[in-house]
Amino acid sequence: MFGLAQLWRTTTVRLTAIFMMIFVIFAVVLLGLISWQTSIQLPRQQTDAIDREVVEFKRIDDDSGFRATILAVQRLAGQPGPGIYYLADPSGQLIVGNVTDLPPEVVAEPGTYSFNYSKPRPFEDPQLDDPQNQRQGYAMVRSEKLASGLILVVGRDVVERRGFTAIVFQWFAVGVGGILLFSLVAGVVTAVRVLRRIDTISSTSKMIMSGNLSERVPVTKRNDEFDALATNLNLMLDRIEDLMQGMKEVTDNVAHDLKTPLTRLRNKAESALREGQDEVTRKEALETTIEESDKLIKTFNALLMIARADAGTPSGALSDLDLSAVVADVAELYGPLAEDEGMAIETDIAEGVRINGNRELLGQALVNLIENALKYYVPEEGKTGRIRVSLRRAGDRVRIEVADNGPGIPAEDRSRVLERFVRLEMSRTEPGSGLGLSLVAAVARLHGGELRLDDSAPGLRAVVDLPG
Amino acid sequence: MKILLIEDDREAASYLIQALDEAGHVTHHASDGETGYAMASSMDYDVLVVDRMLPRRDGLSIIESLRAEDNKTPVLILSALGEVDDRVTGLRAGGDDYLVKPYAFTELLARIEVLARRSSPAEAATAFEVGGLALDRLSRKVERDGEQILLQPREFRLLEYLMKNAGKVVTRTMLLENVWDYHFDPQTNVIDVHMSRLRAKIDKGHANPLLHTIRGAGYMIRD
Repeated sequence: MFGLAQLWRTTTVRLTAIFMMIFVIFAVVLLGLISWQTSIQLPRQQTDAIDREVVEFKRIDDDSGFRATILAVQRLAGQPGPGIYYLADPSGQLIVGNVTDLPPEVVAEPGTYSFNYSKPRPFEDPQLDDPQNQRQGYAMVRSEKLASGLILVVGRDVVERRGFTAIVFQWFAVGVGGILLFSLVAGVVTAVRVLRRIDTISSTSKMIMSGNLSERVPVTKRNDEFDALATNLNLMLDRIEDLMQGMKEVTDNVAHDLKTPLTRLRNKAESALREGQDEVTRKEALETTIEESDKLIKTFNALLMIARADAGTPSGALSDLDLSAVVADVAELYGPLAEDEGMAIETDIAEGVRINGNRELLGQALVNLIENALKYYVPEEGKTGRIRVSLRRAGDRVRIEVADNGPGIPAEDRSRVLERFVRLEMSRTEPGSGLGLSLVAAVARLHGGELRLDDSAPGLRAVVDLPG
Repeated sequence: MKILLIEDDREAASYLIQALDEAGHVTHHASDGETGYAMASSMDYDVLVVDRMLPRRDGLSIIESLRAEDNKTPVLILSALGEVDDRVTGLRAGGDDYLVKPYAFTELLARIEVLARRSSPAEAATAFEVGGLALDRLSRKVERDGEQILLQPREFRLLEYLMKNAGKVVTRTMLLENVWDYHFDPQTNVIDVHMSRLRAKIDKGHANPLLHTIRGAGYMIRD
């Protein structure tokens, strides 16, 4: 499933390798220290001990004569331990000692020597010539001629010491090897685990890239950093799916809302070309064609404007602006038209409200809200249609409100009408692109605010809530 | 009127040349930026109609160069880019008017004719008079046949714009742009209502109306 090269590329394996390297360096240093301790310090201590004993024997020999020396050597030689004692007469003949087969030169010439030798096993009957009862030793000795003419050899058996050092080295090697093996296994296991989790993430993304947008990265119960990553990825995917869904809806709607008028346009043009049409019909058909194409252009412009507002125009498009004047101007622009339609525009506009905004877009948004109120107003006996346009500052917010007493929008449809091209059934027959409120919402978003639709009982209240 | 059209779409250009010819204007055509600039700086035109995106040389750079040479010929910019900031950059480069594609020919024609006026002294006049209707820009008084007419401030500005361009067709979008300073297309007949109110004030009780509706184009004040 995972190639070696891939494994090596993973961070975990590399980290493990680095730690292993550090560990090995540390181990070598430690080993060096121990070997220094055992191969230099220990022998030095033993040499010192030998030297002290030689001095002591010399003193005994000087002060008390050769008999005392023989007794002293005999006593020490009888004790168990690594001590080697050998006392010979001036001709080299053994007097007392716990070793027998010393090399001749040790006895012949004073000095320090190291050599292999055989010595009887402790607590055994010293049948020295029986090799079964002997064991090999390695001696480190000092040979000295005493004042009395006796030849003294004092030394230590260092086989045990050497064995100890060897055991230390051996176990050390085993330990280091074991740890290396363990960390290698641990590193590979961790890497494989990490790789497996990452692999699930990449395979999920691959599935998503190939078009299956509803795939999600599995989240385990461990709640670790991979789960945090997976959760975030999933949130991002949700957002992308929403956007894609939105895109799809828009495309579907564009297909419907732009293709329908385009078809009408084409039909009209065809009918104008048909044989046997009189001049008047032909002219009418052409005029309708122009009207239809104008409507299409308007829809198109509205779409572009929304797209631009949603994309966030460059900051240069926003500038310090007298919002009070904008609201008052638009209300005034529509006053006469409303009156002609049997409605009245009432204004309640706070003076001197300035914001950082885009005059053209805010004006267009307000126009859309007022035109909506005018469009859906149904004249009724004994009721005056009213559109109330107000601008208020509330703390650090600025609110533009357009409220009417028309039919309003049912609560359940209010968020839906903000989507592009959504037109409620009752408005299908009315002219319009279904983009009016979407544009208002986009303009509000561009200014860092939002569009809210409330009930003004009866009627609709549209609130453009902007940061002041 | 002598017009220079700098436009690379040959089909659109030939349609415009023909339509402008029918409206009584002589139109020269350049199909790329370099040629257009050479023609504009060497010959005398009443109006330049310049497309923004042109081969060999950008429309805005042509206008900037002409203005730098102190060439004051009015320029109408044609562009597919219709956002607020595009319009602002166009006008800042030295354009006098900005028309977004696609447009109605009547709109283009009306704007060209109004633009040509710019270079004439009417722009700076302080008073206008059309068939007994007088408007004084300084005292802000309007009279018809010596009888004062009371107008709302916005109505005054509407009338002022119409009289400044007396005898010329003024479109609804031109009115919205020049009187309200908005550049969008109103979905309803919002301008018409204002015009009918103005008409009621200046033409009511008079035998010969001055404010005319030009079908399919806009409005005109004339004797």
